[in-house]
Amino acid sequence: MRHSLRLPRLLLNLAIAFMALFILGPLIWLAAHAFVSDWHYPNFYPSGFTFHWWSRVFLDSALSTAMRNSLIISPIVVLCSMVICLPAAYAVGRINFWGRRAFMIGIFSANSFPKIGLFAAIATLYYSLNLMGTFVGVVIIQLLGTIIYMTWIPAAAFAAVPRNLEEAARDAGANKFTVFRTITLRMAMPGILVAIVMSFLAAFDEAQGTYLVGAPSIFTMPTEMYSLVQNYPIQVAAVFSLLLTLPSVLLLSLARKHIMGGQLAEGFQLK
Amino acid sequence: MISVRRKVNRESSRAPHGARPSLSGFALALPPLLLVVVFVGIPILIGLTFSLGFTQGPNRVISLIGQQIHIKSHWWGTFAAYSDVLHDSRFLGDLALTLVVTSISTVFVIAMALGIAMYQRLIGGKKASVLVTLSIVPLFVPVVISAWAIHTFYGGDGFMRTLFSHLGINFPTLTSTPVAIVIGSVWTALPFSILMISSGMQAIPNALIEAARDCGAPTPKIISNILIPLARTPIIIAASFTAIGILGSYTIPLFLGPNQPTMLGVEISNFFGAYNRPQQSLVMAFFVFLAASGIAILYVWQNIKSARESGRI
Repeated sequence: MRHSLRLPRLLLNLAIAFMALFILGPLIWLAAHAFVSDWHYPNFYPSGFTFHWWSRVFLDSALSTAMRNSLIISPIVVLCSMVICLPAAYAVGRINFWGRRAFMIGIFSANSFPKIGLFAAIATLYYSLNLMGTFVGVVIIQLLGTIIYMTWIPAAAFAAVPRNLEEAARDAGANKFTVFRTITLRMAMPGILVAIVMSFLAAFDEAQGTYLVGAPSIFTMPTEMYSLVQNYPIQVAAVFSLLLTLPSVLLLSLARKHIMGGQLAEGFQLK
Repeated sequence: MISVRRKVNRESSRAPHGARPSLSGFALALPPLLLVVVFVGIPILIGLTFSLGFTQGPNRVISLIGQQIHIKSHWWGTFAAYSDVLHDSRFLGDLALTLVVTSISTVFVIAMALGIAMYQRLIGGKKASVLVTLSIVPLFVPVVISAWAIHTFYGGDGFMRTLFSHLGINFPTLTSTPVAIVIGSVWTALPFSILMISSGMQAIPNALIEAARDCGAPTPKIISNILIPLARTPIIIAASFTAIGILGSYTIPLFLGPNQPTMLGVEISNFFGAYNRPQQSLVMAFFVFLAASGIAILYVWQNIKSARESGRI
């Protein structure tokens, strides 16, 4: 039954080879540069291998400050996003309130204004609120990019919790808070986890807004990367890239099962 | 916050769900909405008044700093900045490039995602999951890194040129051409579309496909009459998010594209910063927003239609 459609095996293998080259090629090429002393076109092999660039990155105070900033700011942004958005996600998923759909569309349309144009427009407000160059200003800018993930994905997860399960627990004598904690929240957890990971990545990756608001006092890893690629040898950028990719790889590996299991896809269907 | 939430839980569980419009639900939804109104809605409205030549109030400082500022000539403002932009041949070139790159990239992304998702749905197996896993990888990589990795890979001394020079072929330098923007856009947009479309395809009941096969329907017919129509909503969601994302993209065209013409995301930033023409920069942002809104309406309409069909409204 499953094999009634027979795509020629060669074609399939070609597709896999193409995807491997297309997707992994650039990453492996860049990563390899983190360990080489020099690489001259058109030589297939580098001139030599070294760990020199790693010590250079860790000893550079600007780069390590950027790393520290990123690792402090992004978790704070995610926490703020959870406090602000999760109750709203619960309301959207469970309560039929006036303007519910308008709320979802409003969050979405805020997301479809070109970010770079928004950052240009936001400067005026930031100057009048004295947020330019401040920590709070950077947190808010990064927060804006997380809202869509932190409302939509958990909303779908809350909506999917079967009501009769909660009612059964209530009938068995559990109080409302226990039901919420042990059933509603626990069953919505995979969705919330995916939202946390996606929000963290959105905040961690945010560069243009952070640069506009934070520079010259606050630099994060992505904003540092913009100047890095212009002013440092490619090997330093490669080391920095590997370090910058590490948190995303770790976090996404944790949530991979749920992301591929449809939690993300579920969240992006308006209901 | 938590105490409010508990109180509302109690209220909502007492009332039958969805029975009546709830004020507490609205109250819970308020914080993110306020954040969006204050830090997205209001700046955009102020920006709109500025683009129309209102140079007082919150726009006073930026009007003093910026160059080529037009001041309103009617009570409603002036379209002078809009006319500036529309008569600028650079803008027209940028707009054309932006629209072409967005359409081509979206078509590629959706075609690749459809191909992989349909293969996974109809045949499955280890190779299908290898393909899906490969196309999820870009999700793990920050955009700055992706852009820089692709920049070096297709650059003058990059891997592709190295490889082909050993085969005696002169592979073109793709970095700093529109082709590289398409490559970068497809690369970064693929995971979202794959996730949307493959989960849509997986949700199609086996019984439907097998019934069609038992009736002797050939695979192309199964694809066109069952898979695509039933996964229409996720396909349209994937396409609209991809297109909106590429339309306003900044990092990918900045690292990978040519200097002139460039995509509007980069030009908005150039006009705001380097050229110090904030009014024109905002006008361009509104043009991009207009195009994105057109796509967004398609997305919302499709969602509402599918919700109505399945009886959720």
